[in-house]
Amino acid sequence: MNKIGLVARREYLFNLRRPSFLFAVFGVPLFTFAVWFVVFAVISSTEEDISRVGQVGIVDHAGIVEEMILPDQSPDLFTSYPDETSARAALDSQTIGAYFVLPQNYLRTGTVESYSYSNIPAALRNQFTSLLLMNLGMRVDQPTSVERIQNPIELTIHLNDSGRDLTESNLPALFFIPLIFSLLFMMSTGVTSGFLMSGVVEERSNRVMEILITSITPTQLLLGKIIGLGSLGLTQLLVWGVAGGLLIRFGQTIPFLQGVTFPLDMVLIFIVYFLLSYFLIASLMAGLGAISGSDHESRQYSSILSLLFVVPFFFITSFITDPNGTLPLLLTLIPFTSPVAVLLRIGFGVVPAWQLIASLVILFISTLLVVWASARVFRWALLLYGKRISLREIWRVIRGVPSVEPSVAIPTENQS
Amino acid sequence: MTTNTAIHVEHISKSFGSFRAVDDLTFDVYQGEIFAMLGPNGAGKSTTMRMILDILKPDTGRIAVLGAPLTEATKDRIGYLPEERGLYRNVRVQEMMVYLGTLKGLSTADATRRSLDLLERLGMLEQAKKKVSELSKGMQQKIQFAVTVLHDPDLIIIDEPFSGLDPVNSLVLKDLLLSFKARGGTIVMSTHQMSQVEEMCDRLLMISKGKQKLYGSVTDIRQQYALHAIIVEGQGDWSKLPGVARIESISNGRNADLLHLQPDVTPDKVLAAIAASQEMRIERFELAVPSLNDIFIRVEGGQP
Repeated sequence: MNKIGLVARREYLFNLRRPSFLFAVFGVPLFTFAVWFVVFAVISSTEEDISRVGQVGIVDHAGIVEEMILPDQSPDLFTSYPDETSARAALDSQTIGAYFVLPQNYLRTGTVESYSYSNIPAALRNQFTSLLLMNLGMRVDQPTSVERIQNPIELTIHLNDSGRDLTESNLPALFFIPLIFSLLFMMSTGVTSGFLMSGVVEERSNRVMEILITSITPTQLLLGKIIGLGSLGLTQLLVWGVAGGLLIRFGQTIPFLQGVTFPLDMVLIFIVYFLLSYFLIASLMAGLGAISGSDHESRQYSSILSLLFVVPFFFITSFITDPNGTLPLLLTLIPFTSPVAVLLRIGFGVVPAWQLIASLVILFISTLLVVWASARVFRWALLLYGKRISLREIWRVIRGVPSVEPSVAIPTENQS
Repeated sequence: MTTNTAIHVEHISKSFGSFRAVDDLTFDVYQGEIFAMLGPNGAGKSTTMRMILDILKPDTGRIAVLGAPLTEATKDRIGYLPEERGLYRNVRVQEMMVYLGTLKGLSTADATRRSLDLLERLGMLEQAKKKVSELSKGMQQKIQFAVTVLHDPDLIIIDEPFSGLDPVNSLVLKDLLLSFKARGGTIVMSTHQMSQVEEMCDRLLMISKGKQKLYGSVTDIRQQYALHAIIVEGQGDWSKLPGVARIESISNGRNADLLHLQPDVTPDKVLAAIAASQEMRIERFELAVPSLNDIFIRVEGGQP
């Protein structure tokens, strides 16, 4: 109805101008960019600096660099070792700072392993790659060599002592994309539904509520608010999306961002989950805003709610080691944890279609239920001033049999 | 219920838990009149207003507003000024007025035009772009009233409109109310200020502890509570007058006497006797019609 649109428009425009919203929309990405920029500046300087590694050893089981042709820029950089034991000894005595191992099946697989004290700089990797290319180039008669020339290295980096292995190609996608999506999700739902709740609390405390509900129905008011603030959340995501897109587009020179993309399926799933859970959390916040006695109290509710969404992060190791295990599955199905759980699982593995569908269906049904129940509580509690309401009473209201009229607590009749 | 009834209330009751806030009230408000709702704090005035506005549902009884039970469309024809003043704090005056006006069915253009018009009449055009929180209390109350009549309603229900207003602003508000009435609008207001009721209101309902105490036209009620007595000021021994049963001295600032008359004596006979007498000089002579304030106190004190 028309009046829902009026409320939505007002909520959108009013909250759009809030300093806290403007900060969340523009300040957060700017701040993030600034931090990243500094970090990248530091990283890229270390990435360029080969000298910190010192001499580099090569153990060649594949016979590629037997008659080593050395690159012109750094004729003395590489030293050949007959086996891994001697290379390891040289690494331990710090004669060399790192060594690469070309296994026997290198030509077929491209697998290369490196051992070092710290992550090897990109510049060194490039040097090693060009060394391989030059030596591979001598054998263009072999088809496997041509393949290797096109894609010379599939590097696995072994960091001394940490026991953690990282594969180059999946690193950013694996870790950062689900993380970024989850953060975006929590920030946008958190900011907008927080506005919704504090708006309701404010209108109740300054009694504008009485004028509002003698102009429109509580349901129109609730829907208008949810739609207006939902659009605000989408606006926020749009700004962030554009900013992120620009960063990736123009940030390809930054090694860290190379190859980072936001896969379309993830974006779609993100938007569907965002909309559903936004409705869920927003209507819940509106209901809580209507029964909570003060701004302070409502903030406590909202922080408990946002905590529910973050639960999957507590179990992030389960998601990395076994993304299809029982715990991740459980968190995929529970309405509040499902958005973040699904995003994490998509990042770390493949979510079976039935689980995705089940999760969405459960989320959809619980969202409908919560919207319906919140509308009832909202309508009932709008005029509730400064009174605590028991959970039992709320349950009665949802079932439609309240035992107390809210205005029992209206102080105007007894105190003024 | 006649066609010129703005509000028809029939045997409504409302309890909150064990507290009976409104107890079997029946009354009508006629179109074009100013109807006062009186009563001590906690009497059930605000609760009754909220039931008329469908903010609360009565436990029993029936209410018709502008001819039918309240609908969403009827809401657009009503203005409501809650006792606890409802205004957004951090919003500019004009913006808030336009928003609340459009919620009552005005177009944005109409709401803007009427807001500026009203602000001008209230002498507050300069404040249009200010935030509500920057306004003084009196200004906020004027804005409140402006919001109530912004959409040109047929009926306004205002809870304690004069509370907290200084005399100048009270006068401004009174003029606005009277001009609203002059254009055919109906006003229901609750108030503590009896003088306002005497000056402005056509009829009244007085309730106490949720029950009706007085109901009818202001003039009739004052007549009904009129004493068979006269108030005089001047020189002379009033006890020598024929037909005077008892003399009571009432001194509020000036000395005056209340002469209770014998049942068969009329005030004009006493006046004639005073005029005929050489010993008496009269400066004031009036019928002892009590102020509403007196009636209020008498009714509340449990006297008939």
